[in-house]
Amino acid sequence: MKKSKDPFEIAFEEQEESPPESPVGLDENEPQTSAGPSVNLGEEFAANPIVHTTDPSKSSAVPLSVGTSGPIAKPKEDDEEEEEENMEVELGKLPSRGDPAKTAKMQEILAHFTADQMSRYESFRRSGFQKSNMKRLLSSITGSAKISIPMTIVVSGIAKMFVGEIVETAKVVMSERRESGPIRPCHIREAYRRLKVDGKIPKRSVPRLFR
Amino acid sequence: MSTGPFPKVKVGSSLPSEASLKRKRGMFQKDLHHMMYGFGDDANPLPETVALVEDIVVKYVTDIVHKAQDDATKRGKLFTEDFLFLIRKDLPKLNRCTELLSMDEEIKQARKVIWVDEEKLVSVD
Repeated sequence: MKKSKDPFEIAFEEQEESPPESPVGLDENEPQTSAGPSVNLGEEFAANPIVHTTDPSKSSAVPLSVGTSGPIAKPKEDDEEEEEENMEVELGKLPSRGDPAKTAKMQEILAHFTADQMSRYESFRRSGFQKSNMKRLLSSITGSAKISIPMTIVVSGIAKMFVGEIVETAKVVMSERRESGPIRPCHIREAYRRLKVDGKIPKRSVPRLFR
Repeated sequence: MSTGPFPKVKVGSSLPSEASLKRKRGMFQKDLHHMMYGFGDDANPLPETVALVEDIVVKYVTDIVHKAQDDATKRGKLFTEDFLFLIRKDLPKLNRCTELLSMDEEIKQARKVIWVDEEKLVSVD
């Protein structure tokens, strides 16, 4: 697992400084600067407003065996508390930074997470597309060598949310078919088809004359 | 979307919009692994599922980049704002992106402060 010691948003940045509480991660992109910014920065890493409710009860019973190093198992309460101003799980809510009620609510919820839920949540927060890979992909698509960092950040964020839509829709498909276990390609394809119907997939609008 | 085993190097993949895109299979494999788990999949997602999602994501990114480029042809240059314009109707994504961008700004500002402080320290010596 890309063990970025920062909330996953940081994973986008190449020169990230970690909030002081974070354990040491092994993100090769990040210089291990000890002079991190003040603790305040941690509070500003608001959570990812995910599209659907991440139902904690959905976490599988399979124990997490991501093959991570020790530190990841340690609950980083400090980190989570600062990140959470609002792990808003509803659609379209803009996380309001430093809203104490929401922060408190989130902390409350987090306190009740089981180990499984916590590890899943951690994966959710920390996962992200490697900036370098995304950059390479973008430059090969655009044909220009120079891709600005904000652009990489934006596209990575969009892509991650898109993955979320797919996976969650696929889980819905699975529950409709009353299947369990890991998601299979057929679920993904059905999810993709449904998203297409919903218009969430961008169509290369080729003008179709005389069809 | 093919689900069979992938060759190590994808040249002229099946997706028409990336005719010249050479990429190794599994460019995002590790990232996707954890991402899919975080979003609700099994702790060990099936490799074919991950590969399929990777294909879908690459196609998605390609499509939105092309769309953004189409909108930006008058300018001739692609800006971050073009992507934001594209997702303007998708509120969660839009909010998320503006949030990420402002965080990026804040981090930059914070770094400037540190940098200035260090300079002061050096000059004091």
